[in-house]
Amino acid sequence: MKPDRSSLPLLFPAAAVFLGFFFLPLAGLLVESFRLYTPGSIGSSADAPLTLGNYTELKTPAFAEFFFETMRISFLTSIAGLVFALPLAHWMTRRLPSRWRVIAVGFFVTLMFLSVLVRTYALELTFGAAGPLRPILLSLGISPNGRGYIEVLVGAGLLHYIVPMATLTLLGTIQNVDPRLFDAAQSLGAPGWKAHLTITLPLSMRGLLAAFLFAFTFSISAFVIPMILGKGRVLFISNLIYNRFSETANYPSGAAISIVLFVVALAIVYVISRQVNKRWQP
Amino acid sequence: MTQITRRQTLKGAAATVGVTLFGGLGSIRPASAATEVTAVEWGGDVVNAMKKIEENQDKVQINWVLHQGGSGAILPKIKATWPNAEYDYVAGWEGSFNGMIKEDWLVPVTVDTVPNLADIPQKIIVKNANGDWMAVPRAIGGIYFAYRKDISPIELKSIDDLFDPSLKGKICWPGPTQSMMLQIVALALHAGGNEHNTDPGWALMKKLAETGNIGRVGVTDTDFTTSLTSGETVGGFYSEPQLTAVAKSFPVERLTKNEGLPVFLYQSGFAIFKNRPNLEATLQFVNHSISPEMSSVYAEIAGEAPLNVKAKTPDSLKHLAFTPEEMDKYVYVPDFNEVLNQQDAWTKRWENEIAPLL
Repeated sequence: MKPDRSSLPLLFPAAAVFLGFFFLPLAGLLVESFRLYTPGSIGSSADAPLTLGNYTELKTPAFAEFFFETMRISFLTSIAGLVFALPLAHWMTRRLPSRWRVIAVGFFVTLMFLSVLVRTYALELTFGAAGPLRPILLSLGISPNGRGYIEVLVGAGLLHYIVPMATLTLLGTIQNVDPRLFDAAQSLGAPGWKAHLTITLPLSMRGLLAAFLFAFTFSISAFVIPMILGKGRVLFISNLIYNRFSETANYPSGAAISIVLFVVALAIVYVISRQVNKRWQP
Repeated sequence: MTQITRRQTLKGAAATVGVTLFGGLGSIRPASAATEVTAVEWGGDVVNAMKKIEENQDKVQINWVLHQGGSGAILPKIKATWPNAEYDYVAGWEGSFNGMIKEDWLVPVTVDTVPNLADIPQKIIVKNANGDWMAVPRAIGGIYFAYRKDISPIELKSIDDLFDPSLKGKICWPGPTQSMMLQIVALALHAGGNEHNTDPGWALMKKLAETGNIGRVGVTDTDFTTSLTSGETVGGFYSEPQLTAVAKSFPVERLTKNEGLPVFLYQSGFAIFKNRPNLEATLQFVNHSISPEMSSVYAEIAGEAPLNVKAKTPDSLKHLAFTPEEMDKYVYVPDFNEVLNQQDAWTKRWENEIAPLL
């Protein structure tokens, strides 16, 4: 279907906003990423020569590891978020009376608007190295200052956002799955779990993809959560970018990392979307 | 049905405007004679001290803005809005002053414009390439090793003790953007290097990271304070304000006079911006702040030793008072130009060599 040309002017305000506040700053960032940085100065000077050095210096195993760590924790947390969110969305859609469903949706929307700082510090105070759960953790042989535990805590911080976001995204998806298909499968003798695996899950796959992409892109760009819960030991790429811009004032390097993160995130979103669409055609 | 006419609407609107305007007049107070100045300060005890200093004069009224993150975090914000940045003075230290001087944002100061500078040792004043004084020092603080005596499993006496297995996860260590990376210089000094040759320090840093003794890498002042207060960690390498609040409630051993544990001194002070209309009022307030009386007030509350030679150093800051012999023995004065120029390279080195081991 071709778009109606007469409606195109309606797009202009949004296009202007995107052009002014997204594409232009991004272009500025791209140019900055090619400028030479002089140590001790604040950003690059206006007449700084262009260089590829800000990108080539990222070709180190350590930087690849930062990327891998960010992607690994984000990926696992996003999958875990979906594991929690799908049954929750199913339960809300199929089992909850409509009056309670409205309340539940309101609850999840409210959760999303709660201050990230408040939630993150709540987690830190409860599960951190000095929290009330410390003796229990120690008795279980878990060190609250251990690397693995800190990673789990960062994941928990991300789940605070991912679960409500994914649940709300999946409500419409579950609603669009015809419940009669599930009933038919069961009436033909399929156990509940098998009916879900063969009917509900495949039919929800595109919604799950959307929820996953929301969760994943949110996670890889997370800043405050790894900064507070990561104890300076679990660092995401966003934290490196912040250090470059705000602490060492090396804008060109910060810009180069930002551009790399942006391109990698786009590539991942593209590849996953393409694979899911290929496998599960509508 | 009641119809609302245009006349009624206009009358209603006029009445509303009238009530708002004249009602509001009742609450208008006589204009204050004080000039408003916007200042960027550190939070906690530092801004509390500065508020107390503000209360002791009535010519300038301060609009307080707090630093967020390290002292360098304000620089991009100023650069982005320059020459319209709205800060009359920014509190900082050598590190941030250096960047501001390079950007040519600051107004030079003299004894004529800030008379109390006459009582500050000239040697410590930050200068530009022409030798002009570019910032007003107000106090000195230390960057050194310390630990909490009540919860530390061992007594820290030397850098080697940091490797003790009983300290697993118990050390709070500054991140790559904290303390100008003097922690690496401290390790380098211990291993036979210095700020010009930090390789031995980095080698030692790797070993320390591999022990698993570093439980938290502090990236903000609050990280250090809360980690030590809560008992999450028991010791590490700190700058003065990070310990001030903790030392009020817990037995903190400040290792400023132990051989083999170097102490670094930094100055905190004011950078005054040349683009602002209230320059004279700002200079007046800064001059008031470094007077002998106000320097003592600042030292008492903020926990940094006064630089004004006529000011009184409180007992709680005796650990920062050094005799000339002690100064030679315990205090290391690095080549700050080298330290500042290496910040970017050292940060990257930390990310490449140390962070993966933590």
